[in-house]
Amino acid sequence: MVGSKVDYDISNLYIPKDGKGDNDFQKSFYATLTIIVRDKDGKVIKKYKQKSHSPTTNFIGLMLPLTWYNATGNSWTFINTLNSTFIYAPTIASLGFGIQYPNNGTTINDYIVNILVGSGSNSNPYSAYNLNAPISNGSGTGQLFYSSVSTPTSITINGNQAYFIISQSYANQSGATITISEVGIIMYLNTSNILEQNVKTGNLLVWYDVLSSPISVGNGQSVIIYYTFSVNA
Amino acid sequence: MLIQNEIPKEDLDYILEPFKEDREEDNKQIISEKIIAIVRDAKGNIIDKREQKMRSLTQYYLALISIPILGTYSSPTSNTATSILVNVLGLPSTQSTTSTNTALITFDTSIQLGSGTQSFSLTLNSLSAPILNGTGTGRLNYYSQSVLYTSNSVSQILTVSNLSGNTITVSEIGLMGTIYLMYINSSGNYTVQPYNFLFSYDTFSSPISIPNGGSASFQIVITFSG
Repeated sequence: MVGSKVDYDISNLYIPKDGKGDNDFQKSFYATLTIIVRDKDGKVIKKYKQKSHSPTTNFIGLMLPLTWYNATGNSWTFINTLNSTFIYAPTIASLGFGIQYPNNGTTINDYIVNILVGSGSNSNPYSAYNLNAPISNGSGTGQLFYSSVSTPTSITINGNQAYFIISQSYANQSGATITISEVGIIMYLNTSNILEQNVKTGNLLVWYDVLSSPISVGNGQSVIIYYTFSVNA
Repeated sequence: MLIQNEIPKEDLDYILEPFKEDREEDNKQIISEKIIAIVRDAKGNIIDKREQKMRSLTQYYLALISIPILGTYSSPTSNTATSILVNVLGLPSTQSTTSTNTALITFDTSIQLGSGTQSFSLTLNSLSAPILNGTGTGRLNYYSQSVLYTSNSVSQILTVSNLSGNTITVSEIGLMGTIYLMYINSSGNYTVQPYNFLFSYDTFSSPISIPNGGSASFQIVITFSG
């Protein structure tokens, strides 16, 4: 999909010799995945952290500005966690479509559902629409007991860094060790026009990571997962 | 039900601790940005080309990113917006509208050029000396902007011409963002309320001169890794 033509070849550009190296710029935006495992007494028994890498195609569709939709006339196709699709094309025109915003009229909420954990892996995070092998909520075999997802009260500015953190904890009451190898953020999206017509909703995987080292959570242990999204000055 | 963050200090210390190992995987970019500028003289000949990495995203861009992650509602059952949308972007907690209608949100972006410089801060909300649209002294003629999406990159493109009669120097560039709330107001009219922000701010390593009669294209490319 191409929005409009440009009259030059962007692959054939002069890069000035005083241009900064890539390493100088990688910290403008990053996300971190932190995992902490505790025993039944709450004592920390494992800490793990890795850079998070993978916004999905659903995320990118939500980051496209109006100009792209207006100039191309294209719509974006979201894929929900059930592998069903729905399209989205926002506009500010009357009776145009957008994401629902909290209001005192009629409303269908859109919100973060959870940080979903799984025991498999997807080879292409960009196109993933669900975890490969989601671990379901419960205390049965192969299950983890999910607590509520925790959301930030604001963006925190600490020196030259601004960040927000979301987290969720999970308890293993299954009777056996459970291994977490993939993690993803599920967001419930709700789009419509202002008359709340042609409502399109679905659980979307918007962020996905395969762990460099799978995390084992023993029976009786708990694990908490933190996603940190940051920009740096 | 969602709960607000109450992170144990020992966890927070570890979360914010820099990575000790310089692993290749840890240095992989998630979202990378660059700025491209091409300047032409009055005859259309290219007289300057630039490409530099963009490095200065503001907290407002981070707040924008919170929407596809957190949604706009603070919980599945609450009718209030997320704290970030209210506290950082200043959007209403609950948008007033008529009882039979809903409220919607969307956003757009545009490039703004400037002739000044200033220190970057995460809360910066404007350029130091924006170059206005027009043909008068010190102005550039801004053409309609476009957005390209290819694979996993989004490019915002601005073309300007200099009809001011003098050389114009561009030393700063910003990606401006406008978040729109749409609703029905108390008079029953469809209303689009804009909220303006600065999403990124950068200065050029050396200022870019656009001669009178010349033109220039500026492109901000945001690439999402997968």
